[in-house]
Formats: sequence, C-alpha cells, structure tokens
Amino acid sequence: MKISYNWLKDYCKYDLSVATLAERLTNAGLVVDAVKPVDDDYCLEIEVTSNRPDCLGFIGIAREVANIVRSELLIPDVEYAASDESVNDITTVTVEDKELCPRYTARIIKDVKIGPSPEWLQKRITSIGLRPVNNIADITNYVLMESGQPLHAFDFDKLSGKEIIVRRAKNGETMEAIDGSKCALTEEMLVIADSQKPVAVAGIMGGRDTEVSDATKNILLESAFFDPRNVRRTSRKLCLSSDSSYRFERRADPECVDWASRRAAKMILEIAGGQVAEGVIDQNSLESKKVSVTLRMSRLNSLLGLDIDKDTVKDILERLQFKINSVTDDCFSVDVPSFRGDVYREVDLIEEVARVHGYDKIPVKSNIGVKLTQDNIFDKVTEKTKSVISGLGFDEVITDSIVGELQERHGNIWTDDRGIKIMNPIRQDEYLLRKALAHNLLRVKKHNQNYGVEKANIYELSKIYLPQEDDGMPEEKECLSILGEEGFLSLKGVVETILSQLNIVQKLESIHYDFGLFSPEKSAELKLGGSVLGYIGELSREVINDYDFRSKPCVAELDFNILVDNANLEGSYRKIPMFPMVTRDMAIVSDEEVIWADIKGCIESLKIDCIDGIEFFDVYRGRQIEKGKKSIAFRLIFRADDRTLRSDEVDALQEKILENLSNAFGVKLRA
Amino acid sequence: MQEGLSEIQNQAKDDLAKAESLDAVEQVRTRYLGRKGGIINEIIKAIPGLPPEQRSSTGKSANMLKQEISKWIEDARVKLADKEQTSEAKEMFDLSLPGEHKPYGHRHPITQTIDEIKGIFRKLCFDIEYGPEVEHEYYNFDALNIPADHPSREDFDTFYLGNKRLLRSQTSTVQIRVMEKKKPPIRMIAPGKVFRPDTVDARHASMFHQIEGLTVDEGVSFSDLKYVLTLFAQSYFGQDVKMRFRPSFFPFTEPSAEIDISCSICKGKGCSVCSHSGWVEVLGAGMVDPNVFETVGYDAEKYTGFAFGMGVERLTMLRYGIDNIRLFFENDLRFLSQF
Repeated sequence: MKISYNWLKDYCKYDLSVATLAERLTNAGLVVDAVKPVDDDYCLEIEVTSNRPDCLGFIGIAREVANIVRSELLIPDVEYAASDESVNDITTVTVEDKELCPRYTARIIKDVKIGPSPEWLQKRITSIGLRPVNNIADITNYVLMESGQPLHAFDFDKLSGKEIIVRRAKNGETMEAIDGSKCALTEEMLVIADSQKPVAVAGIMGGRDTEVSDATKNILLESAFFDPRNVRRTSRKLCLSSDSSYRFERRADPECVDWASRRAAKMILEIAGGQVAEGVIDQNSLESKKVSVTLRMSRLNSLLGLDIDKDTVKDILERLQFKINSVTDDCFSVDVPSFRGDVYREVDLIEEVARVHGYDKIPVKSNIGVKLTQDNIFDKVTEKTKSVISGLGFDEVITDSIVGELQERHGNIWTDDRGIKIMNPIRQDEYLLRKALAHNLLRVKKHNQNYGVEKANIYELSKIYLPQEDDGMPEEKECLSILGEEGFLSLKGVVETILSQLNIVQKLESIHYDFGLFSPEKSAELKLGGSVLGYIGELSREVINDYDFRSKPCVAELDFNILVDNANLEGSYRKIPMFPMVTRDMAIVSDEEVIWADIKGCIESLKIDCIDGIEFFDVYRGRQIEKGKKSIAFRLIFRADDRTLRSDEVDALQEKILENLSNAFGVKLRA
Repeated sequence: MQEGLSEIQNQAKDDLAKAESLDAVEQVRTRYLGRKGGIINEIIKAIPGLPPEQRSSTGKSANMLKQEISKWIEDARVKLADKEQTSEAKEMFDLSLPGEHKPYGHRHPITQTIDEIKGIFRKLCFDIEYGPEVEHEYYNFDALNIPADHPSREDFDTFYLGNKRLLRSQTSTVQIRVMEKKKPPIRMIAPGKVFRPDTVDARHASMFHQIEGLTVDEGVSFSDLKYVLTLFAQSYFGQDVKMRFRPSFFPFTEPSAEIDISCSICKGKGCSVCSHSGWVEVLGAGMVDPNVFETVGYDAEKYTGFAFGMGVERLTMLRYGIDNIRLFFENDLRFLSQF
C-alpha cells in the first residue's frame, strides 16, 4: 500500500517527520519498506499483512496514526444535493447470487463532463504511483485509495436494458476487460451483467465495452461487497488482478460500501458536474451481526507477561474504535467494528493491546526452567559420520532435491519407478524429485571441473524421495552419497572406515552388481548383515564420456538409516594385548576365480584362536606367475592372550592354513 | 714436576681454544701427544730417569693428562667437523617452505550454521525434531490455520505434487507433527529443507533451510519468547546485539512478531544489507494461535506457547557477508573450502 505523506494529513493531524512516521508505523506492525521523495511530498510503501485489509486505505492508516500521536481521526463529509429524479426510475439491480454478492449498491450520475482531473487530484493520484486517466476514473481510484472500498463506474448508456444483473457467468461466456485481457468465464465466476452480457468480472475488473470514455454522459456507480474467496479463486483462474480484487479478496468493510459510493458521487458532482439521482439502490442481504468479544485482564497479563492496568487497555481499545459494552473487575466486553474482520477472539484483542502498547514494553524474563533434552540417535550418528568423512578429506555439498530427467539416464539406484512430478515447477527441465543423490554429485563434480578444480572428493547426506503406489506419500530415504577420486578400493576403504568408527560389527559384503552407472567390472551391491546398505562402483566409460570427466571417479551411495540402526556409539574397550604378536607373510598362487573373500573366509572358518588378524597386501600377475593365475600376498598375525607363541607352534598353524587353502582352492605357495 | 704438568694442561687448553680448523687441532695433537716429540710422550719417556719415589705418581698424572687432552681434542674435532660441514654444504634447508598438507574436508556452511544453532538451543534445553519434506496439505496449511482460498496462503507459495501432496514451504509443519505425538510440555526446534517456487536470484532459491522452534507449557508468556530469542541472538550474533520486536502477522501465531537485529555489517548506521534502516529482520515469532492448539487437541485455556522460525541461509549470509544465495547450492569447492 502506497501512502502520500501530505495526503494522509487530510485524515489526521500529525507533526512527525517522515522518518519518524515510518518508524512509528513500523513499530505498530505496519512495516514501511521504503520512503521515496515525490516532488514536495513523500511516498511511503507500507507492507500491509493479509489480516489487516482495513489498512488498505488512507483512512485505515490514519486511524493507526491517530492512535500513535493521540490525535483525532478526520472523516471527509459525504453529503451532497441530489436531483429530483429517483435512481429507481432510471435503473434496476437484480442480485441473483446473494452468497457471492451479499451487498450491491448503485447510484446514477447524469450529464457528467468527462475530461482530465484538476491538477490537485492528478498530483495526488500520481504521488502514489497511479496514472491519471480521466476525472471519473481518477475519482473512483481516489476514493478506493482513501477508503479501501473499490468502486466501478459504468457508462450507463452502454448497458443493454439499462439494468444490472449480478449473476454467475455461463460456461463459455467471454468478456474483454479494460486492460485488454480476454476473460474466458465459467459458472464458478461471478459477473456483473446487463440484460445481454457480462460487463464486469465481479470485484476484479470492468469490461471494455462499458468503460467510461470521453463520450460518456451518464454513469452508473457501483459499490459492493463480494465474497472474498470467490474473488480470489476467480482472480487466480483468470490470472487477472487489480487494486480492487486485492482488497475484495482480503475482505473489504461491508459497512463502508455506501459511504464510499456517496463520497465518490459528491466528488463527481464537484469535479465533473452533472446531477446525482436521488437515492441509492442498495441490495443488502448482509445480516448486521455484531461481533462481541470478552477480554480478561488476567489472561491478557499472563499471556503477555505484563502487568498493564485497565485504564490503559480501555484507552487503547477505544482509540482503535472498539466499542466497550461493559466492564467488570477482570473483564471487558467489546463490540468489534465492521472493518476489523480479523478480530473475533480474546487473543485477537490481546494482540491489539500488545501491539499498541508496544512490544518493547514487554519484559525480557523467563519462568521456564531447565529440563533434560532427549537424545537423538540420528543426530549423533550424523555427527559422527560427518566428522569421520571430513577427516578423510571429503567436502560436504548440498544439492537441490528437484532434478531433471538426467537422473534416469544411466540407470536407477534405488527404484525404477518414475520420480514424483512437481505440478508447478519453475524450470521446465527440472520437475522431478530426486530418487538418488549420485547424479547430483556428478553434476557438482562437473561444475567444479568446468572451473578448473580437477579433484572433487565430495559427499552429501540428504533425503531422496521414493514414489509409492497410488500417489501415496513417498518414502523419504536419508542417503549418504560419496564421490571419490582415488579409485574403487580407496572409496571402499572410506565406507569401511565409517562402519568401523560407528562400531558396526556386521560383516560388509560386496556382491557384483550390473548397473549402467558403473563399469562392468567395478560395481557392487554392499550388504550389511543381510540388508542392502547401498551401492559402490567406478563410473562407466559411458558416464565418464557423457560428463566429459577427465578423471575416473567412483561413487558410493548408502542407505543412511542402515548405519543409524546398526551403529553402536557407546562403543566398548578391548584390552591391549600383553604378549607379542608373531607375523607370517604368505604369497599364494591361485586361479583367477578365487577371490580374497574366499581365502579370508576359509582361514576364518578354521576358527584358530590365536589368529589375531589377516591383512591383505596385494595381487600380482606377471612374468613370474603362470598365465591365467595370480599371486595373492597377505600377512597372518598370531597372538595368544596367555603366553608368547613359540615359532614351531606358528609354523604348524601356517602349515594347516596352507593345507586347507590348498584343498579348498587348489592354491600353492608361491615359489 | 706436578706444577709442570698442570702448566702443560693449561697450555693445551689454550692452544685448543685457539685452534679454529681441523688442521690446527691436528697440530695441537702432534705437539702434545705425537709419538715423536709430543710433550706428554717426552715426559713419559723421561720417567725412568726420575727418582724412584716420583716415578709412580708422575706416570699416573701424565697418563691422566694424556687422556684428558685426547678427549679435548676429540671434542674439538667434532665441533669443528659440524661447523665445517655446515659452512661447506651447498644445500640449505629452507625453513620458510610451506608444510605438507593432507586433504581437509569441510562441512557445508549451511550444516555449520544449523549445527551451531542446534548447539545454542540444546543449551536452552530444546529437543531436536525432524519432519517429512513431502507433506500433506493439511500439515503445511490447514492445521496451521491457513485456510484454502485465503490470501494468507500467498505468503507461502508452494510446489504441489498432486493428491494433496506438496513440498513443505515451511518447517512449521513439524510443530503440528510433534504436538500430535506428544503432550505438553514441549520444547523443541526442527531444522530442515523447505521449498518455494520463487524465481531464483541473489536472494531467493527454490530450496532453502529453516529452523522452527516451539515451546508449549502452562504459563508460557510473550516474556518467555522475548527471553529465549534474546538469549539466542546474543549467543549467535554477540552479547552487544540490539533487538527490535515488531508486531506482524502469521496465521499460526497470535500475537505475532518479527524480530530485527542491529545490522552487523554497518553497526546500525545504514548500508545496503539493511536497506539503510540499520535493522535486519532475522526471525518470525509469536504466541501459538489457539486455533492451532484446538487442531491438535490441546486445551488452549490451560496451555500457552510460543513458536519461532528463522532462515538458515539468511543467517549464514549475514554472518559471512555472502551476497548471493545461489553460492550455497552450486557447491563450488573454491567456495565450500572457505568454511
């Protein structure tokens, strides 16, 4: 809402600088966003919250200012001399839908002279950013801004049948609005029609055909109250809005309807001449129901933490034009004025008192004591995981949950179902909820590569959204996705380090998994104690080419809740051994098919008590090894808890292990 | 004879002190310990010619002196060797070279802000709660006293997913979910992602983060709200921060407030960050609206409470003077590694 500093003085006398006025209004809840000088005046842009339509007019703002500076509110005079002819002899108004139009008034002004507005009026209109059109349009705009009540003037002679019918539009009806837009109307919309066609979309905009023009002589002046929700729905459907619809959808003051009409008629007489027909057509089906609210002083003081006295409260309410009906020891009974539709409960009155009294007067103190907060296992595991992964040199990223179709291009990680679609996306190519994080990490990697950062060791811990049947609520899966530049085994090591730091004891299995995102060879499903923990792999050639990567990144994507469920943050302590270890390094030659997990598993299955560790060294293929075979080197660590192992004991154990490996896989000790 | 020996001892010490090179030390050695003509050896050779009662003691003393001088010579050699090596070496170790760096991982600045704020509210005995990002319309709007076809929905433009599902446009949804599950007293904050179909520019992103807070108990007042949020602001922005509580409107609180802090960039003098007002809006808050309590089945006569919300990106931008919200989600490592 734009307000002119000088114009506002018509409605209440104040002696505040523009800066002080802006500050005082802001502190009363009417935030002044900007103050701009306009000639010898200032334009204040006020942010009026949606609960305060009463402040969408100068008089409403003046009411607040009068309260602030404790001066009188000045309401303009609306008395005028009417002609002998009665409005009822000139036109008729039929309201077919009283629910959507509870009140409609019409006045007729004859023989007006259309022309430019006088200079003072043009100046005022311009000072708040409006464009002068002609005297009639300027007057209706002026009164709208003054009172907050929208008005519309029809060229009466262009109304077929010289009548007004307020009805729902028929499906298929159309109308060209004053701004040139073509409105396709439907039966949910309310229109103002003459005997033949719609001449205005109720509360939103008039039609071009019946617009006041230079040739206009006689005017029908509309002032009405339309159902806020219907105006809003229609305005959104037609993508058509105006200063009028803005006010109607927030609820104009039903009791201001006739006042604004008289105010405009009087101004038209004074500025454009002519005669105002006697009387008004007022189709009013609004029940004048008084809203009464009881305010308890005890409740007010306890809710605000204040100790305010009754006289102060009474003064504040009366200045805001609440009518005090009765007062008892603790209670006020108050009638709410019609322009304050937002006030209907005790708490609404409490807010009014708090607001005017000043939030700064409410003390900063507290009665709430200490309590023990609850532990949150998710937060603890998150914290631990992030500290481990940061410690390993990975940077955390946060990417958008809304993605494009790229996420489907190279195969799906968690589901083959289509991602959930956004019905009103802001970018046409990004309209899906992500079903995995990995693709977003690739995009981050790409972005960084474009800017010359060749290595991106990154991770994200965020949600993905897995669609469910029948458009149900998706499964929101918390995922940990990691992109590493140091190769498959290095990234697998990162995953293993996270598991070990979370004290997860379940065995991690890597099972080969065919999947378009990853290379045919280095691609695995990770299982933890039987559940799928996630997937890990080196990007496939195709993906690398697609993104034009200059390195060969690997990606792991894990179901974070599996980590949360299996983490053991309490940990436990293992005694430091008292007796020394004995190590034996072995290299065995095996067929290609024999994998490390088999060898390790075989040794573990022997359940030799004093084996304390089996550490992989490397795999070697080359000249010294028979073709089609490989050499696997590893270290065995032996230790006993109660004595120092003798060399011959260890020799025997090593012999036993070799024999078992040999029987199971046909391996030989490397020569 | 004994006096002679101690004179020799002193002389040898002096000679060594003056020897500034390995050659000079060698000359000293030859002079005193040389097989032929060395002073000590000459003395030892002369012992048989001494009177018998002097032979034993002189021999002992001479031998001790020989050992002592040998040791001095060895020390002098080591010292000079070190010195000569250093002065002769062509390579010099450059102490100003940078240290070697292991890769260091950074947490995202948004995570860091959320963690810091969680820490502050933990100190104030708040629990941490989470809620879904895909929500039912009911939790995002209706239960929060934002009816359909009401202009107040305009402040919460929202991505819709069909079948009454949406991407939550505010973390206030978690208030409702927590109150549905638990009875008062409640004291919690809920950090998380929210989504709005805003045109993306330097100040707006379609995805960002909020932290919601809620306290419900008997006798909770606006004073408590001011107290808790003042403690928060002092903790996050510093002890000398100035605060301004302004009346405002949120459908789910009544009375409602917006909270400004004195601009940390210009210290209240006026700059572009605070639109030359000296104040920066950082929080929305208010007393929980009785309609919300009614919706979740709390007795609004018995219980009162306050709620608040803040934008994580905004707080982070203020803290570091970041002028473009898009930086958070582009994930340029040259940006992320600064935090």
